[in-house]
Amino acid sequence: MTQPHRLATGGHVDRATRLSFSFDGRRYEGHAGDTLASALLANGVRLVGRSFKYHRPRGIFSAGVEEPNALVELREGARREPNTRATVAELFDGLSATSQNRRGSLAFDWMAVNGLLSPWLGAGFYYKTFMWPAAFWERVYEPMIRKAAGLGRASRLPDPDHYDAAHAHCDVLVVGAGAAGLAAARAAGATGARVILMEQDFMLGGDLLNEPGLEAWRRETVAALAAMPEVTLMPRSTVFGFYDQGVLGAVERLADHLAEPPPHTPRQRYWTIRAKEVVLATGAHERLIAFPGNDRPGVMLAGAARTYARRYGVRAGETAALFATHDGAYDAAFAIAEAGARIAAIIDPRSDSAAMQRAREAGFSVKAGSVVSGTMGGNALRGIAIGAQGSGARGDAVPVDLLMVAGGWNPAVHLASMSGAALAWDEALHTFVPGTPVQRERSAGACRGVNGIGAAAADGAAAGRDAAIAAGFAAGPDNTLPDTLAADHCSYPVWEVKGRGKAFVDLQDDVTTNDIRLAHREGFSHIEHAKRYTTHAMGTDQGKTGGIVGAAVLAEARGEPVAKVGLPRFRPYTAPIAWGAMAGQEVGKHFQPVRRTSLHAVHDAAGAVWMDAGIWKRPAYYPKREDADAWASVLREARAVRQRVGICDVSTLGKIAVEGPDAATFLDRVYANTFSTLPVGRARYGLMLREDGIVFDDGTTSRIGPERFFVTTTTAQAGPVMQHLEFHLASAWPDLDVSLASVTDQWAAVAIAGPKAREVVAGMVEGIDLSNDAFPFMAVADCIAAGVPARLFRISFSGELAYEVAMPAGHAAHVWRAAMQVGATHGIEPYGMEALGLLRIEKGHVAGSELNGQTTAHDLGLGRMLKKKGDFIGRVLAQRPGMTDPSRPRLVGLRSVDPRRQIRAGAHLLVDGRDQGWITSATQSVVDPGWIGLGMLREGEARIGSTILAANPLMGEEVPVRVVSPHGYDPENRLVRA
Amino acid sequence: MLRIPCPHCGARDEIEFTYRGDATVARPGPDAGVDAFHDYLYLRTNPRGWQAEWWQHSSGCRAFLKLLRHTVTHEIRAVATATETLEVPGA
Amino acid sequence: MSAPEATHPLAAVATPGLRGAAGVAPLRVSLPVRETVQVMVRRGREEAFAAAMEASFGMAPPAPGHTLAGGAVTAIWIQPGGFMLTGAGPGLAERAALAFVGLAAVEDQSHGRTTITVSGPAARAVLARGCRLDLHTRAFGPGRAAMTQIAHIGCLLHQVDDAPSFELTVFSTLAEPFFHWLVEAGSGDGVVIA
Repeated sequence: MTQPHRLATGGHVDRATRLSFSFDGRRYEGHAGDTLASALLANGVRLVGRSFKYHRPRGIFSAGVEEPNALVELREGARREPNTRATVAELFDGLSATSQNRRGSLAFDWMAVNGLLSPWLGAGFYYKTFMWPAAFWERVYEPMIRKAAGLGRASRLPDPDHYDAAHAHCDVLVVGAGAAGLAAARAAGATGARVILMEQDFMLGGDLLNEPGLEAWRRETVAALAAMPEVTLMPRSTVFGFYDQGVLGAVERLADHLAEPPPHTPRQRYWTIRAKEVVLATGAHERLIAFPGNDRPGVMLAGAARTYARRYGVRAGETAALFATHDGAYDAAFAIAEAGARIAAIIDPRSDSAAMQRAREAGFSVKAGSVVSGTMGGNALRGIAIGAQGSGARGDAVPVDLLMVAGGWNPAVHLASMSGAALAWDEALHTFVPGTPVQRERSAGACRGVNGIGAAAADGAAAGRDAAIAAGFAAGPDNTLPDTLAADHCSYPVWEVKGRGKAFVDLQDDVTTNDIRLAHREGFSHIEHAKRYTTHAMGTDQGKTGGIVGAAVLAEARGEPVAKVGLPRFRPYTAPIAWGAMAGQEVGKHFQPVRRTSLHAVHDAAGAVWMDAGIWKRPAYYPKREDADAWASVLREARAVRQRVGICDVSTLGKIAVEGPDAATFLDRVYANTFSTLPVGRARYGLMLREDGIVFDDGTTSRIGPERFFVTTTTAQAGPVMQHLEFHLASAWPDLDVSLASVTDQWAAVAIAGPKAREVVAGMVEGIDLSNDAFPFMAVADCIAAGVPARLFRISFSGELAYEVAMPAGHAAHVWRAAMQVGATHGIEPYGMEALGLLRIEKGHVAGSELNGQTTAHDLGLGRMLKKKGDFIGRVLAQRPGMTDPSRPRLVGLRSVDPRRQIRAGAHLLVDGRDQGWITSATQSVVDPGWIGLGMLREGEARIGSTILAANPLMGEEVPVRVVSPHGYDPENRLVRA
Repeated sequence: MLRIPCPHCGARDEIEFTYRGDATVARPGPDAGVDAFHDYLYLRTNPRGWQAEWWQHSSGCRAFLKLLRHTVTHEIRAVATATETLEVPGA
Repeated sequence: MSAPEATHPLAAVATPGLRGAAGVAPLRVSLPVRETVQVMVRRGREEAFAAAMEASFGMAPPAPGHTLAGGAVTAIWIQPGGFMLTGAGPGLAERAALAFVGLAAVEDQSHGRTTITVSGPAARAVLARGCRLDLHTRAFGPGRAAMTQIAHIGCLLHQVDDAPSFELTVFSTLAEPFFHWLVEAGSGDGVVIA
């Protein structure tokens, strides 16, 4: 027989649609509209998991997000997802679920021996037991704990699904679609406001789904909302966080209810919502009561049993008892009785009430002034003990297989608290409710302690209307609200029933009342400390059912009211969120944008090996078949430049157009050297300092016109330099009339370098006399290159005769090809970043490794560039004694004494065993074969000629190096001026 | 995440902006000396409460703005352009 | 040698055809060929600049967050005192430089910026996957513009019509990842590239 506990009629399941699913390998059947939990209960499956620490048998405890016990692994293979709450997992055909945290079978878990060891596994056992010996921690204790205490297993395969992100804006965001939320959305929607209604459940209605008499109102309201053009209904959407200025985060589950997402459909979508006004209608979570054995499978929240009966048509037990502390709970007894269960007893600590009377009239056995003092059974509940309230006696045993617990309601204040509102103690409800809002939000319905559907709907309607008015809309027409008698939810506070046996305040983390008291005795009396010491309220349920019970036990131990103890701070996320959703689209090639120069395809065609330079892709080198290895390619390219001619893509350099009457004045202030004296048609190397006197950036700046400059920056600092310039124009010198435009993307640039560079440039450039007199080193002019308007610079980074041709980016490939064509007769070769680095190290030009945020101009041998007259950024603080100390490490050249022995950047420079500096850059040389480098060395100039050690302890290397001038190649700059 | 009211572009997400620190300090004149520059660059009051801050709308209009922001609640009370002055309560 | 035609940054990837689902209302994507010129007004010359704009392009400078069209040229506000002029070439940069001598700095950005037009009923929802702006008809519309970032890439966005159509202008060296993002974001509805 399938689904023996399914009712013949009633609820919101579609009995005509039969869905097959498996749990721990056994096949079952459920219906559309089921959750995994309701389908398991329909099939009589009561034992669904083992607890975290003691491996105690656990059953389904709730019917929603607050579930602490029924965590399962859902799906298989790459889609296997651990710690999924069966109570919110929507059933689909073919669903496969596995219980977790068990060794052996679920019914016989040999780790349950931990229960016997429990005197040593109490709160803080981690910190106490596994202290000694220290070496055991990593090798023995930690793997053991992880193996024993882990929850589910995540798949180790890549997630085959894709996730999405999206942004939303609205006038009114309503969170939760119970009676309050539906009424709020309708009232707000009626004003014409843009409304988003988000509900974590796959059905809208909340507790209305348990009220057949109000189904017509629910349907009518949902239909009315769906018909409003500016109202967006979003089921399966969990709002997980409330941030600053009306920003909230949510995850919409688009395909979790399907075996796998349809093509082009993301599994989940991560929403960032900006709301002018927010209505929180998040409802309440039912509170557990801490009595001995309150975790046995068959112990269930009363509201959950009612939901399984009314919404899912499932009888969660055959013989039931209700442990009630308020009148609102009694409907659970009627619901389960209507579902065909026998009510064995209703246990209520109060002496009398209206609901107790009605229950007696219905023929139920009501035990007034009583509490549940214990439970019996193994893997399933077989009975309960009923004792007199306050007596401490265990009392009579009553056989039951379902105990419904109603400890009162915990308003879901999470989002209100995250928005910054303090929580206030409600004396009648014995719970915390949201205090005064600090953001533009309001709570409505059960989440602020308004209980009963009619009252909640009225509260929601008022909140929705007020929110829309606050967002600038005029009130719309009133709507009919459900008219129901409000039950009294003011609970009699029974936090704990003391007795022998474990009474849990946190079922998921296996935290007992005694653990809380232990924490207090050991000095962890603040709620935040007690939480961390015991792990109370730290599971996936975040203490939704028992958080406040733990606080109450702590309050009693401290001898203070619960209100004073408070709750731990609420933080995102209100419910577990998949990592995939957080990553959203930003995986694989979308992880971060890749920036490509306009010559990318040209390099690809030339077989470039790519390297990352920030987010740029740049050619590292261009291997040829005859090259033995990468170094062979690099040395070949560098030799081409030194001996013939090479071409290199330098488009990634930052380029800033600086223009205006005060442009020259501005550049004088932001560069350490002078630009106002630069003639039009000339370029000059510039050094930019930070205000603290450290070198910030360098580059070549050209004067294009009297008031126009073309500034280049290093690739890495292009963005920071632009911001630096903009900041000082805005803050320090707002009187200067200067405009800045980033033209990095407009201009592509290639360097053509080598003894034959002039011949190559002459073969492709029109409109310029390239003779050394007419176009000398550091000359700049507009020209036509290969038929394209371009700008020619005679500048050199390699130390050779060199030019840079800059052209509008869309023409770069054409110009490159023209240069290759003209250069073919001269043996031109493209060279990449590695050869570029080699050449500049040989020449002694500094780059990013030397401009590392620690070096001054003086350190780099550039101290002479600092102008003597006039203000500039960094001038004053560069004069501090520590910055001008002659013993600071200075730039030197280094050469491996044995040319075959490699030196590496990062190695320390040892003089007589003392650490005196480090290697910044290293390479092989083509000018004088062997390993060379640049480094920062104390008393560097004085040590030129001496031999010291380059030590790299990580590689076990100590290489003798000779200290040389950093400017070993053509120190007089004859070549670049030739 | 903050929503920052740019006076030119309207309210935008924090991710479009770049924080640039205390907006009450002014770069000293060229002859102010080392101590003045030291204070300008390094000395900050780090208030628990209202603070005037530089933010650049770097992914928007590129303007540098002054924001009056509460360092505890993140409330943004006022925004000004670079050349306007911002009164800091309690300062 | 005669000046060859420029290579479009998306030439290799934005080949015509359908990407993603064969939806009933796909996102329509096209790559208009434009000249794009950045104009930055000199301090204190706003009035003279406005007059020059009127004289040369037949329109006033647009207000913050807006665009104005004068004949074949559209002006888009991008920053205080800063505008982007776009239109069919050739020679827009030269025209602007002549019109604004002494009044504004003019930088040709025709190669530095790449414009992608997206159009169709799905456009708003697709953009919302990376764009943080409110593009609802009550908050945005034809003639509105914004500098923002979409999918972490700086973008000048302006609405052209009520189809709705939007022009998205990004840095050319980032056009390719932006295009890939757009195609991915639109794959559920389908993306038809002209």
